[in-house]
Amino acid sequence: MNMSKIMTAKEAVSKFIADGMTIAIGSFFHTIAYDITHEIIRQGKKHLTICAPSFNEHADQMIGAGCIDRIESSYVWMEVFGPLYCFRRAMEKGIPHKIEMEDYTNFTMMARLLAGALGLPYVPVNSMKGSDMMKYSSWKGENKVKLLKDPFGSGIEHALVPALKPDIGYIHAQRSDEEGNFQMWGILGDAPFSMRACKQVIVSVEEIVSRDVIGRDPNRTVLPGYKVAAVVESPFGSHPKNCQGYYGVDRDFISKYIQESRTEEGWKKFMDEWVYGVEDRTEYLKKYIDTFGMKKFMSLKAKDMSSGSVNYGF
Amino acid sequence: MTDKYNDFTLQELMAVAAAREIKDGEKVIIGTGLPLLGAFLAQKTHAPNMMAIYESGAIDCKPMVTPFSVADAVLVPGAAMQGGLIEGLGIVHNGELDVGFLGGAQIDKYGNLNAHVIGDYYKPEVRFAGSGGSNDIGSGCKRTIVMMLHQKKRFPEKVDFVTTPGYLGGGRQREKMGFPGGGPSVVVSTLGILRFHRDTKEMYLESYHPGVTIEQIKANTGWDLLVADNVKETERPSSELIRILREELDPTGVFLKKK
Repeated sequence: MNMSKIMTAKEAVSKFIADGMTIAIGSFFHTIAYDITHEIIRQGKKHLTICAPSFNEHADQMIGAGCIDRIESSYVWMEVFGPLYCFRRAMEKGIPHKIEMEDYTNFTMMARLLAGALGLPYVPVNSMKGSDMMKYSSWKGENKVKLLKDPFGSGIEHALVPALKPDIGYIHAQRSDEEGNFQMWGILGDAPFSMRACKQVIVSVEEIVSRDVIGRDPNRTVLPGYKVAAVVESPFGSHPKNCQGYYGVDRDFISKYIQESRTEEGWKKFMDEWVYGVEDRTEYLKKYIDTFGMKKFMSLKAKDMSSGSVNYGF
Repeated sequence: MTDKYNDFTLQELMAVAAAREIKDGEKVIIGTGLPLLGAFLAQKTHAPNMMAIYESGAIDCKPMVTPFSVADAVLVPGAAMQGGLIEGLGIVHNGELDVGFLGGAQIDKYGNLNAHVIGDYYKPEVRFAGSGGSNDIGSGCKRTIVMMLHQKKRFPEKVDFVTTPGYLGGGRQREKMGFPGGGPSVVVSTLGILRFHRDTKEMYLESYHPGVTIEQIKANTGWDLLVADNVKETERPSSELIRILREELDPTGVFLKKK
């Protein structure tokens, strides 16, 4: 089969992401698809449920833009950089509208995705029991988590968490072929299971390579292409987050977002400039270089620390 | 003798106190900020065989520069293994790790931590990040080291929301739950070092930081804090440890904000 799935972010989002969907946004602080996220915001998608073990500013931007109704996650924050203000405004004050969060833990979100990827209805975990996450549910009620005494006789009670099978997932990766066999390296985060749990996947990549390049190192493939609906070529698609081997994290830009989003007005100004005011990732990058200079842009580029290759011979 | 490392800041004292909690050869899951400096300080001094693990799936990291984040790209080259969350937290969940670092918005008398909300869960006055890996680390690691800003509102008798169980209601309550991990062993706060009573599991003051009084600590704690009979001043860091922190681990002052 040789069927090209290459398209623009604009085409992929308009074709495959519908209002009201449950969407897994893949990766963990690394290779997060900001290109797809920004396109969802520009196309004004509504009533989405987003899920991932942990979320950063990409979720915050979608919340501020009014795309999100519900979040299934363990974490919405930006680590040492500080809080995410749209998330806090929505949770504390209902701005721009009230959102709900179903709170799990990082590992239990992974366990739910693993169950989703393997076709298991639920999975027992050692986490969560004894915590107030067992007592409070936002919309799942009794189906958020249950306690079950080990039927195999250990005498221990475990929390059972339900499988998560999102309608669609999207993620950024280093490379893919045109069929969507995509490869990642560095911090895999919630991949591969977050994407394997989804019914279909949009992947944005630094480079599109031939099927032959993928086949020379198949252990690195995250997901076979048959589950991939669209492949988007998007250099720096994860900016301001990093992409191992391509570019580093842009701490100044993350701090800028967090500073400016402290007020609704500041947030709107940032978004008008960097999301609504640009047509696509190419324009975004051009704007970045125009604003901060080529020297700053080049300083983000990764050093060469290539691995040795292995022999797949037989 | 004039030594520019004789002086130390509160943050440096806390990083050194955290480092002292780690034994050589232990497997430690590390967060960012002070825990990270504490753990790497231990590795550079008395615990060269400590294994540094991050929830992002970086295992046995030997970073060339101090990482800024639990998912920093510098963790990857040189690691013994790089996976994802299922690898990083899977070994925590399986009870294989010795030490985990925790923090939060509140901690109570029995070491329960809150990282979710101040006020009502459904109508929070302040909403925080949520558990992230905190609950997993608290449930799975053999022991945990908690680092806290010591203020009355952050040390209530009972937390507003239990994100990560400590000893729950005290006594044997935690033990009965059958967690793989054993619970918090120490709280390194901005005012002192606190531990948990062997039987009741109630938090008590072990030592007060230089310049801090016991009265001050009690006034900043939301219940009648127990004080050890042999309470003493927290051991001051040696100038060599301060030198390593400043010159080797945080030369640009990212974590130990330079005044």
